[in-house]
Amino acid sequence: MEAWLEFGRGPLFRISFTLMVLGSLRIIILQIIGMIEAYNRSADKIVPWGDLWKKTFSWLIPIFNIWRKRPVYSVISVLFHIGLILVPLFLAAHVLLWKNSVGFGWFHISQSLADYLTLLVIITAPLLFLMRVLNKNSRFISRTQDFVIPLLLVIPFITGYICVNSSISATGYQVMMFFHVYVGNLIMIMVPFTKIAHCVLMPFSQFVTGVGWKFPKGAGDKIIATLGYGNKPTWFDNPRIGIVTEAETSQEQEDKK
Amino acid sequence: MNRVRNFKLILWMITGFAAAAGAARYIFGLGPATNLTDATPWGLWIGFDVMSGVALAAGGFVITASVYIFKLDKFHEITRPAVLTAFLGYIAVAVGLLFDLGLPWNIWHMIIYWNPHSPLFEVGWCVMLYLAVLALEFIPVPLEEFPRLGAIRNFLVKFRLPLVIIGIALSTLHQSSLGSLFLIMPYRVHPLWYTSILPILFFISAIGLGLMMVTFESNFTAWLYKRKPETALLGQLGNAARWVFILYLVVRFGDLAARGQLGLLNGSEWQVKLFWFELLIMAIIPIIMLSIPKVRNSLGGQWTYAIMGVTGVVLNRIDVGGLTHIDRTGSGVYLPMWTEIVISAGVVSLAALVFLFMVERFKIWEKRPADPQAEPQTLPEFTPVFQTWLGDPVIAARTRYSLAFVLATAIGFALVTHDVAKSKGVDPSPVQRSRGSDTLWVDGNTDGFGVAFKHAYHMKILGETSIDTVEGVETVSVDVNTSCALCHHMNLPRDQNSGCYACHADMYSKTDAMKHEWHSSPQGANLACRDCHAKGGPKSADNAKKCDVCHSDLFPSGATIKVEQYEALSYTDAMHTLCVDCHRLKADDVSRPDLAQCAICHSEQRSFVDENTLAGRYQNLVGKSLILP
Repeated sequence: MEAWLEFGRGPLFRISFTLMVLGSLRIIILQIIGMIEAYNRSADKIVPWGDLWKKTFSWLIPIFNIWRKRPVYSVISVLFHIGLILVPLFLAAHVLLWKNSVGFGWFHISQSLADYLTLLVIITAPLLFLMRVLNKNSRFISRTQDFVIPLLLVIPFITGYICVNSSISATGYQVMMFFHVYVGNLIMIMVPFTKIAHCVLMPFSQFVTGVGWKFPKGAGDKIIATLGYGNKPTWFDNPRIGIVTEAETSQEQEDKK
Repeated sequence: MNRVRNFKLILWMITGFAAAAGAARYIFGLGPATNLTDATPWGLWIGFDVMSGVALAAGGFVITASVYIFKLDKFHEITRPAVLTAFLGYIAVAVGLLFDLGLPWNIWHMIIYWNPHSPLFEVGWCVMLYLAVLALEFIPVPLEEFPRLGAIRNFLVKFRLPLVIIGIALSTLHQSSLGSLFLIMPYRVHPLWYTSILPILFFISAIGLGLMMVTFESNFTAWLYKRKPETALLGQLGNAARWVFILYLVVRFGDLAARGQLGLLNGSEWQVKLFWFELLIMAIIPIIMLSIPKVRNSLGGQWTYAIMGVTGVVLNRIDVGGLTHIDRTGSGVYLPMWTEIVISAGVVSLAALVFLFMVERFKIWEKRPADPQAEPQTLPEFTPVFQTWLGDPVIAARTRYSLAFVLATAIGFALVTHDVAKSKGVDPSPVQRSRGSDTLWVDGNTDGFGVAFKHAYHMKILGETSIDTVEGVETVSVDVNTSCALCHHMNLPRDQNSGCYACHADMYSKTDAMKHEWHSSPQGANLACRDCHAKGGPKSADNAKKCDVCHSDLFPSGATIKVEQYEALSYTDAMHTLCVDCHRLKADDVSRPDLAQCAICHSEQRSFVDENTLAGRYQNLVGKSLILP
């Protein structure tokens, strides 16, 4: 077990950490290149810069967008993220590991604060999972990884909390540490390849959509022709958002009559 | 066109691997990240990256010379790839050097601080200038794509001939000077390779290698892009290469005969076998193959002799650059560490990637290869691994290459072990006490190089002087005892005027003069922690009793040097600080400005030590760091 732990802290950690950092850098660069290419290809070069900056920054600060829909879910999500980001980065024990291996450390939070934040994550993660499962709309738009990731993320927090705060046998400690280290490495490897990538892509999401969501010249006409709507009007006077069923339209027409 | 894509994927992986190794080299330094030592400071990076890299790029000046000077216009279509190969080859040499140099940020020194006696100075300047010349020769090609910059292009094309001439001159100089570098090592390079005409041999073989490399590169890219190989043209190049290699063989064996070393070929040691192997694949077999027109003009034949020739000359450079020194470098046999191999491979891969990019983007060949990424739009296809469509071929290629790079870098970082990062430390060199009485022979590491220190004289001149008038006669009396504390600033417990060596016990590194282990161990002073460290505070030096609380006799009265730390300076530092500082002060008092100069103390005739004694003395240090006085 000791050897497995050493492997997880040594070579495996270096692989995971490098994959996380370089992999995240890679998707950022790829996304920016794609954005520039789309911008250059499109005929429409109008970008609402002011609005774009405002949106980008407002989404970075969750306060502004919490109260739109499902405020309870949003608040729980924000709390979850606070613990999730602060504890791994600023836990004194983690900072000490860095200091011992690379020679420098940084600011760390107190152990009691770290304990409270860890408990916060341990409580909120299952709540997020449950609210995703129980809400029909959420369940409908969720993929497998959306269900799995909150539960996976909470494992290092539970094991870390047990290791720090309870008196368990040496073997028990090592087993807990094994899961802590290996699941932590797994999460780091998953960062660039799953939805966790939003931790680095989030600042770009609004921006890339605004700049790069453009179509080549004449793309709209081509699509209309391809779909066979060449002769029909392609706009509505009063567009309605959402799916309009057959029954509703017939009902509407009857009302008009 | 999957062939190009897979090849690029492999190149990206090697580059990623090398990125991790290169980062390790810069983070941990040359010592832990390579197998280079003081005995073998030139390893694979010099033998392969620099010496072979420069020689591999010789095709540039050979082909430009034949086309622009000798007007052999039939070779015109291989000029551009040859110049591009040379250009990238030299850039690769420069990049490789940045890893090899201990202090790469000082590389500009050779521009300012000239050492015209050094072949390395010449090589450095020539490589630098030739790189500039190659850049100017090549830049018109990419400029064709930018009509706006046509003026610059026309200007450069006008100066093509002078540039070609300068390029040939510079190549002649440094291709040979790479051989001159080893003229300084007659006892190190094996006599089968060491000769005073090494520069000439290097130059001739570089021409042959240039022709072989152009052949190889042309055939390889033809295979890669499924172009029609230029077999007939390359056959003519091969014919020229044959005469170059024949000349090389004649000069090489003629030199061996002239030096009277042909007898060495009778020996059975491995160097003789290496010599024959090298010559067979570098010259003899290629000459035979090139002499048969049918083989010379066949694709298979060209592949075989080109690869043999290239490998042979590269092997020759590695032999001269290090492999044949192995017997003379003492105990530690140098084998390159994996980081060295990977970085070399990575630099080459990066150059190859740039080459492929240039070939696809600019007009290097008469007919540009169909861009492998610009296939006609195919229907979206799910990749088996990710179950997604990676986008059109350009985006898919970009996605794959970057992923390969990142994965390879991660694996490379995992292989950089903690052992690599650990420092190998400094060899201890304990200090012996000085011998003598009135004059002391100060020679801490007893290597025969020391200083004769006039102890009695210093006692006298530093002592308190009193002038008495006894019975009308003025007598000057000196109290020698008062001068002791000026130098003997600390005593061992219950001792007086302890010698320097007692605390400054190592020649080059600091000593723990306080000996914490001894104080705390039961066999020593048997003290508890709390006997020295105040209760409640950390157990650190700051939170401990001062030494003289217990050892009241530690500091003699009148001591001018105040000791603040428990670590004593190294012996050399202690001597130099004490003597030189005092001499500087006295230099003004007695108006002797030379008093603080090195030769005032280090003026002894070096004692004669015969060679065998010296060898015996340093036997345990062979292969380790050795600091000569």
